[in-house]
Amino acid sequence: MSSVLFFLAAIGVITGATGVVVLRNPFYSVLALVIHLVSLAVLFLLLRAEFVAAVQVVVYAGAVMVLYVFVVAYVGGESDSIGERLRSRGAVGSGLRLGGAILGGAVCVELLIALLGTGLEAINGYGAGYSPGPQAYGTPAYIGKLLLTRFLLAFEVASFLLLIAAVGGVVLARRRGGLEDEDERDLLTPLEMLRPRGTGTMAEGVGRRSP
Amino acid sequence: MLAVVGYFEPWWIQILKAILIFAVGLQLVPVVLLAERKLLGRFQSRYGPNRVGPYGALQPLADILKLLTKEQSRPTTSVGLLFAIAPLISILTAVAAFAIIPFGDTQDIFGTKVGLYGIDVSIGPLYVFALGGIAFYGIMLGGWSSGSKYSFLGAMRGAAQLISYEVSQGLALVGVVITAQTLSLTGIVTAQKGMWYFIPQFFGFLVFLVAGFAETNRAPFDVTEADAELVGGYNTEYGGGGFASYYFAEYLNVLVVSGIVTTIFLGGWLMPFGIHPPGWVDPIVVLFKMSLITFLFIWIRATLPRLRYDQLMSFGWKVLLPLATVNTLVTAIVVVAVH
Repeated sequence: MSSVLFFLAAIGVITGATGVVVLRNPFYSVLALVIHLVSLAVLFLLLRAEFVAAVQVVVYAGAVMVLYVFVVAYVGGESDSIGERLRSRGAVGSGLRLGGAILGGAVCVELLIALLGTGLEAINGYGAGYSPGPQAYGTPAYIGKLLLTRFLLAFEVASFLLLIAAVGGVVLARRRGGLEDEDERDLLTPLEMLRPRGTGTMAEGVGRRSP
Repeated sequence: MLAVVGYFEPWWIQILKAILIFAVGLQLVPVVLLAERKLLGRFQSRYGPNRVGPYGALQPLADILKLLTKEQSRPTTSVGLLFAIAPLISILTAVAAFAIIPFGDTQDIFGTKVGLYGIDVSIGPLYVFALGGIAFYGIMLGGWSSGSKYSFLGAMRGAAQLISYEVSQGLALVGVVITAQTLSLTGIVTAQKGMWYFIPQFFGFLVFLVAGFAETNRAPFDVTEADAELVGGYNTEYGGGGFASYYFAEYLNVLVVSGIVTTIFLGGWLMPFGIHPPGWVDPIVVLFKMSLITFLFIWIRATLPRLRYDQLMSFGWKVLLPLATVNTLVTAIVVVAVH
């Protein structure tokens, strides 16, 4: 039973990840990423890492991807410009292709180092046995204890970094005039509010017609 | 190896429980439907449905038969596969979330130890939040793939609303988890032996209940399907079976939120004043408390008008979230000071 689940989830992970790259419509790419993340959560569940699985779904599929879907559904089929620039002849196209190849190679080498260096040794072993209990390895209590004792510094630094990112996002949005004040909103006439570019019909959302 | 989460029960009991949970959920939804229509009628000084069967009791059955025998149709602008899948996601997550509500302690039934709940996971409420996060895709895909402006706007509102209110809902529960020192829902219930948590965690209770109204898209937070401005919101283009699925999922979600509130704040299967009834009374106690919360849902729908969309957002971020944060902080300080 667990091996059947494993193969189903593994197929989901791989097809999802492939779909993100291969699919042309950005909306379907985002949906493929959701499938990838949920299948990954199933894999975590099979490893009895229930907390990690739940957090994976809550944070990634439930919050981050919701924002992605939000943005992509609003912007619609306008975002195919990178593909066209990649295929274009001339300095820009060849530069992009070269940069892409170098980056891809670097990621591949890095993954190989990580896999050959450490990961493969663990494959032959069986790992620690599973012992259920309120304080067992991988339970929320255990993870919380580790985060507040051994990894306290990393935990606090990461939360500080996220805070800085949030404040930075607000500052950038203000500078570009994205957030208007309460009283400015009333100055918009109904004509201006009628139909902003690219937030119109579903045909745009599906990518059949660009605004 | 089948037992990934509920590791101490034989496999056949788990399958039986899965079937039982689905059957119970399926039976409860028409009851809630009828109760809502009857009560709304009374709140508005009319009778409500009273033609089909005695006292109109067969009305939900007639409704469901009507919906399921309708012709299936979809708009030409819709995206076929997603249009068909979306209601399924909604219904799947609603039923799966129902599995976590404990209806009683572990009972001895014919010599086998059986817990009166679907699963008792060590992550507890996080399971519900994870399923809530997936349930969003049911609404979102339904609205997006319909190929209609109204559906799309409804789905988009649903997305923003879900993100805003899930944060406060989660934070409201942190206070309870700190007090109970466990995430398991049965553990939280047994930790309430002395006092039900809606007294020490009153603000957490309020925030969770209000955020629960928003998460289930019920009045006064039902801007996703605001019929005055959006026709029907995300399910505008659905008819027949698809609409019935969304309807079913919505009412099952109401039941799930009632069950979670019962479990976490109202002492689950515990009776007040330390009365210890025999084990078979437990599910009745839980169902009674759940029906009280469901009655509150209906009462508020009949009482309060719908919020405007920007009011909804500012209420979520500027009132509920700070309140939940302060509640968590105060609870943590008190628990540390007491220990």
